[in-house]
Amino acid sequence: MLIQFILIIAILFIIIRSWYRKQKKEISSGEFFVWLAIWVVAIIVIAWPDITSLIASAVGVKRGVDLVVYVSIIFIFYLLFRLLMRIEKIEKDITHLTRAIALKQTDKNNHDQQ
Amino acid sequence: MSDLKVLVLIPAKNESAKITEVVHGVRQYGFDVLVVDDGSTDETGKLASSAGAVVLCHALNRGQGASIKTGIEYAIKNNYSVVVFFDADGQMLAKEISFLAEPVLKGEYEVVLGSRNLGHTINMPYSKKIVKKMALWFTKITTGLKITDTHNGFQAWSLQALKKIDLSQDRMAYASEILAEIKNKKIKYRELPVTISYTDYSVSKGQSIFNAFNILWDLVFKK
Repeated sequence: MLIQFILIIAILFIIIRSWYRKQKKEISSGEFFVWLAIWVVAIIVIAWPDITSLIASAVGVKRGVDLVVYVSIIFIFYLLFRLLMRIEKIEKDITHLTRAIALKQTDKNNHDQQ
Repeated sequence: MSDLKVLVLIPAKNESAKITEVVHGVRQYGFDVLVVDDGSTDETGKLASSAGAVVLCHALNRGQGASIKTGIEYAIKNNYSVVVFFDADGQMLAKEISFLAEPVLKGEYEVVLGSRNLGHTINMPYSKKIVKKMALWFTKITTGLKITDTHNGFQAWSLQALKKIDLSQDRMAYASEILAEIKNKKIKYRELPVTISYTDYSVSKGQSIFNAFNILWDLVFKK
């Protein structure tokens, strides 16, 4: 089907982008291979959708597509949680840095005045 | 009063219209003034310095909670005995600083919280009254503190009490966090009446009602 072809091409494009980011050392090898594994699973599911039905019936879900939606939602929420945690840590780091610079600048001014 | 050193800590962001008047007002009572310029894009820092305040500049805006914590670190480094939190928008009265700091200087209390409800407010907008009531109700439920006002930035703290608390909230949620810390660390506190005078300027500089939701979000999701 055309949709399968388009989705697989899109995913291959994402994998190539990820590879370039790994080459530029913007992401670690570990991070790249985790994403690669996820995208390979996505390609398998898109290319052979019946696989999801087999797994779905094995775990007690009626339709394969339902299983894909459930797993995807959990994965996306987990990713969102990780992103929020990461942003929060960056915010804290920026505050610490801003505070340290402000206090250091005052120390320098006091020293210059003496 | 005594020889113990009092620092008046004023977090400020883009307060060039009022900061000179506010710093002069505090300085005339003989207190040291620290202004934490929280990423202002106007002349706030320069004007505060000219008016006689020590100025710490946050290169980026990090929020009132972060500014208060920066001021606390400065007070600890410079051996102040009492730190009074004060607003930069001119809605608090400098003549009430001594009144608030005195019980802390005498060692009777570790913290004195200013209360608008024990004192009085001038021209407080009705929308703010509703939000303050809800915030007070929320504070009573979450901390169990028997207080009459919440999110009032006029407070006097002993340095020892400030060393006990751990503030992690950078934005306005620090005001709730600080009350929770008073409860958790069993800090000896009392409230005293203060006057808060709302002007068109201070209301325009103040928080919007919708910021209450941001504070709730920060309290639930940030630590």
